[in-house]
Amino acid sequence: MSPVTLGLLAALTALAVLAGVAWRARRQVARLRERLESAAADLQNLQLAFSRFAPDEVIERVIAGGAKRIGEKKEATVLFADIVGFTAIGERLEPATLVGVLNGYFERMSDAITDRRGHISTFIGDGILAFFGALAPNPWQCDDAAHAALAMREAMRAYARELEAEGLPAFSIGIGLHRGSGVAGLVGSRELMEFAFVGRTVNVAARVQQLTRELPGDILVTEQLARGLDPRFRLRRLPATRVKGITEPVPVYAVDGFDDEAADPSESTRSISEE
Amino acid sequence: MTVMREIEWDTCLLEPLEVPELERRARRETGRRDRAIRYFAGSSWVEDALIALSVDLETRVALDAELADLVGLVVSQDNSCRYCFAVMRAFLRGLGMSERRIQHLEQNLLTADFTPRERAALDFARRVSRSNPPPTAADVEALRAHGFAPLEIAELAAVVGMHLFFNRIATLGAWPPGPMEAMPDQWWIRLLRPLMAMRLRGIRRRVAPQRLRPEETPGPFAAVVEMLDGLPLARTLRTALDGMWASDVLTPRARALVFAVVGRQLGSSLAEQEGRRLVLAAGLSEPEVDHVLAHLTSPVLDPVERIVVPFARETVWYRPAQIQRRGREVKEALSRECFVELIAVTAIANAVCRLAGVVRFCG
Repeated sequence: MSPVTLGLLAALTALAVLAGVAWRARRQVARLRERLESAAADLQNLQLAFSRFAPDEVIERVIAGGAKRIGEKKEATVLFADIVGFTAIGERLEPATLVGVLNGYFERMSDAITDRRGHISTFIGDGILAFFGALAPNPWQCDDAAHAALAMREAMRAYARELEAEGLPAFSIGIGLHRGSGVAGLVGSRELMEFAFVGRTVNVAARVQQLTRELPGDILVTEQLARGLDPRFRLRRLPATRVKGITEPVPVYAVDGFDDEAADPSESTRSISEE
Repeated sequence: MTVMREIEWDTCLLEPLEVPELERRARRETGRRDRAIRYFAGSSWVEDALIALSVDLETRVALDAELADLVGLVVSQDNSCRYCFAVMRAFLRGLGMSERRIQHLEQNLLTADFTPRERAALDFARRVSRSNPPPTAADVEALRAHGFAPLEIAELAAVVGMHLFFNRIATLGAWPPGPMEAMPDQWWIRLLRPLMAMRLRGIRRRVAPQRLRPEETPGPFAAVVEMLDGLPLARTLRTALDGMWASDVLTPRARALVFAVVGRQLGSSLAEQEGRRLVLAAGLSEPEVDHVLAHLTSPVLDPVERIVVPFARETVWYRPAQIQRRGREVKEALSRECFVELIAVTAIANAVCRLAGVVRFCG
């Protein structure tokens, strides 16, 4: 073989190797780009899904810099709901039936809350903790929360009828509402973090919910919340009651209903009956 | 386009009216064929506003046209408007932007390779668009720090405002996005792309600043109009607001209440105060206005206002399918002309009230 042919062969081989390397690199880049785009699409989908649980800005800050000290002082309304006598019901039902009954309850209550711009923070056993005005500003949070509570009561009654028709034990709920300030932000550990509203307001709502076991009323609201309500809500003043962790007795009102067609629902003619 | 195309979207809520003369006029003035104008045929101030705003959208005074396009894409995405996003995508594809770049912007907005100046402009656009929390002096300061001149800042806000208006007009009416989403991928569009790029560049205009005459500033939301002085939008907005206030389809009180409610939801004191002033001028007393704004209802409201007021609140932040379902209920309770005007009024109120939030920083 002549040196010219040899040189040509070597050049061709080198060219083929180079082409191979370039082709592989190109394929690798394409694969990487594909993975990057897929990861970005996943991120976008996650962002969309998470917007139901935390404000967009918080999600973006988490994506941009990690979940570090994101908190903001806010005025929000807290709703606490709990099943009356759940322990006894739980003991009577098979585990699978109990889970089915509970899921049906959570589903109905969630709809009633989210339809009225509430945000469910967490399910605690059979309890529900929800906020109004913690995710986005809501100047009408008191009305929204009280309407949600009434819708929960209605949904619960319908669900109780369904359960009874199936031969299952029906149950009722107690709801406590309070409005006040607190801190909205990301709280938790490295392993489990959630967007929550924390502070005294949450504790008061929980205590007021517990009062539904002692006082005649399944939806109880504090005075701070009652003051912000549409006068067409029918309220019943209940005796101020001491609750754990609060020195002064807490004045509470039972919400009996809402008069959609009230003739003159001005603040001065608010319908408040005495217990 | 995966994510935008996945957004749940109802069937169109508006019945188009065939008015060939209107379509010809729109084509003559905007330089392009846009059949969406048919949805608002019959409401003269809305027809005029849609045509004028379509022209203003392509008219730049100080801001870079490419940056304005990016703002349109980002605001439409932020407001989940499938229709407007598809229009912006088709427009940018027509101008030569690759599908890969558009997808990259759509999916990686937070990490996309923008220049610091572009990033500052887009961050500001999103702050105004969301207004949750409302923009602050620091947002405008960030623009100044990147060399934006006062007229550029006003124009940036104006571009956001115009897109907010179109986003709501299209989303509340559920304009069908399908044809627009499919358009850039049609073989004949791809074939004619160079010609389309020439045509699209042809409808763009750059004009000198246009000052308002002293008699053009007064009227509803004068502070916002004044902030935009120098831009064509200032005159368009003044004309649209005056036309809206002269319309007798919805009552002036109903329209003013829409502005007051949107202003309150956005936490914009200027917008709420101006809306409140207009409601008072339309005949409600102070305690009555307080009551309506506190509870979104009152026995003094007429049946149409009882529908309009709570609906206005829902147009501020929403998910498309949710607001479209609500829109369908509202549509059933109102006449066609009332519903059409309500969509336009809530769209303009959302844009104006958000712009009102930056007036004191831009002025």
